[in-house]
Amino acid sequence: MDDFEKLEQNAYIYLLFTNICALVPGILIWIYGSSKGISPKTTFAVAIICIVVSFIITTRVASGFILRPLQMLWQAIVHVSSDTTNLPPPNIDSLRLGRTLILSLANRVYQLSGQHTNTEIDHGNISQQASDIVKLFPQPIFAFDKDQNITNVSTSTYSYLNLPEGSLIGAKLFDKLNLEFSTDNTLEQWITDCQDNKVAGQALWQRVRVKLADDQPTKQCDIVACYNRDNTNGNEFIISLYDNSEEYNKDDQALSFVALAVHELRTPLTMLRGYVEVFEEELEGKLNPELTGYLHKLRLATDQLTAFVANVLNVVRVDENQLSFKLSERDWKTTLTNGSASMLARAQILGKTITFNIAENLPSVAVDPVSISEVVNNLLDNAIKYSGASKDIVITSTLNQEGFVETTVQDSGVGIPENVVPNLFEKFYRNHRTRHQFGGTGLGLYLSKAIVNAHGGNIWVKSKAGEGSQFSFTLLPYASLAEELKNSDNDGITRHAHGWIKNHSMFRR
Amino acid sequence: MNEDQTSLPATPKRVLCVEDEHFINELYARALTKAGYQTTVVTDGEQALQEILSDEYDIVLLDIMLPSLIGTEVLKRIRADKPDLKAKIIITTNLELSEENRAAIEAQADGYVVKADLTPRQMAEFLAQLNV
Repeated sequence: MDDFEKLEQNAYIYLLFTNICALVPGILIWIYGSSKGISPKTTFAVAIICIVVSFIITTRVASGFILRPLQMLWQAIVHVSSDTTNLPPPNIDSLRLGRTLILSLANRVYQLSGQHTNTEIDHGNISQQASDIVKLFPQPIFAFDKDQNITNVSTSTYSYLNLPEGSLIGAKLFDKLNLEFSTDNTLEQWITDCQDNKVAGQALWQRVRVKLADDQPTKQCDIVACYNRDNTNGNEFIISLYDNSEEYNKDDQALSFVALAVHELRTPLTMLRGYVEVFEEELEGKLNPELTGYLHKLRLATDQLTAFVANVLNVVRVDENQLSFKLSERDWKTTLTNGSASMLARAQILGKTITFNIAENLPSVAVDPVSISEVVNNLLDNAIKYSGASKDIVITSTLNQEGFVETTVQDSGVGIPENVVPNLFEKFYRNHRTRHQFGGTGLGLYLSKAIVNAHGGNIWVKSKAGEGSQFSFTLLPYASLAEELKNSDNDGITRHAHGWIKNHSMFRR
Repeated sequence: MNEDQTSLPATPKRVLCVEDEHFINELYARALTKAGYQTTVVTDGEQALQEILSDEYDIVLLDIMLPSLIGTEVLKRIRADKPDLKAKIIITTNLELSEENRAAIEAQADGYVVKADLTPRQMAEFLAQLNV
């Protein structure tokens, strides 16, 4: 019982410490008395009284502290037994002393409480029956222990993953099961979180891609997982996969249909841009100011359409993990101003002022200039759209305390209500109250997040309804990627929207 | 990058534009001629194959979706039949290709451009960077 020995040892150290503490006032009084020439008898008497009093106090405190694990266990037992009052379950997380031991013991109490009425049941037999039942389940089920060794699976798991029967037992879970999550909160993370902080837990993921060997099509499922610390038969974790490939693939095809439709737009768009360019070249200076203005607006409208088409296609690429970036060394001031030229022209026509406030001596950054310009343009586009009556939009770039180049786009417009802020970076999300008032696809921020994350940075928003919004993102200085550059081809680092996020969590805030 | 005709060498570089969309051909021919290139236009794959094999061009702009023979097939045959081709072949397309397909094409071509990403003038500027 390692945990018990630990508790014993800690309790011993604690008691020793409090005892020493109790002696201190007495010793101090003794020293004080001797130095002032007070009679030794009086000093001794006062010191003894002092020591006794502090012993009473420290022992009281220490016993409370040392007995807290027992109190938690008692609470757990009272909580599960049927004749209780309304006592709450123990808050074991708050425990300092013997936390692991009590977590484990409390869990056993909870497990046993389900069986206590029928003491005649043979526990070994139950285990066997449970294991047999798991095998019969129609969907793939994995049970595994604390080291992620698979202890049991349903028979259907083999056919689902197209693996020979028997090949899963004893294997490491993630060697056999290749999952791709659309969020950062993966099964692996949840497992770690459970083992560090929980006695029991459940979790659900939707739209998880299950990658199969070779050229077999990827499946998509929902996954349900549950955790029981120190489960008696060793199955700490059980996860089941609910295949939803058919439904989810339909959604994906709908997305691919968007991709198809969008690229059909590209050909007329190419022509439109071409002819606008011809007009600009041939007619510049020959038209009256009114017509020049119209031509200018025609150009901006085609630019806007081009950006929209690029946005939609990039979202499809992000979702299919096909969006790749080539990071190279760039001067941020130049990249930022060049990349936002078209948006500046648009702002001007709409009567908005964009002010650049870029710190001098910023380090060069590692960016894919085209993609990062999309981020800047999406943020500026939002700022213009939602700036309301206010005119000023400010772009600020500084080197922040963590050594990232931090860029903020700030408007003083309508702002964002607090309750919708967490959803802003989701696909197709737009505030329902402003949806009819403003155009847009609800893809810009989703895409911007994917791009910034793939660059190793982060993006966030500060906003207050009625007071404007402040969108910020960070970029890595090029120097911090030097190590990685050594191992790449010499024209930059190629990264994908998902892959890079996963492997470089250390760069994230 | 290199719009100024005076900065180009005396003999104009020859560009073969393989593209079945009339409007795009018109625009490319105009922009490339203006940038000092001598431009020839063909509109189907078989014809393109013959023209490219004649090896009289410095640059070939090759669309993928073409009548009679698709661009990727044209490219494949040329690389097989004429490994020492002088011309640089740039794939120009508006297709949305999967990464694998794109990588396969890029391995055989000298460049790859999404037409919608560049205006005709920008296309001419892009070709100037090829240093042919």
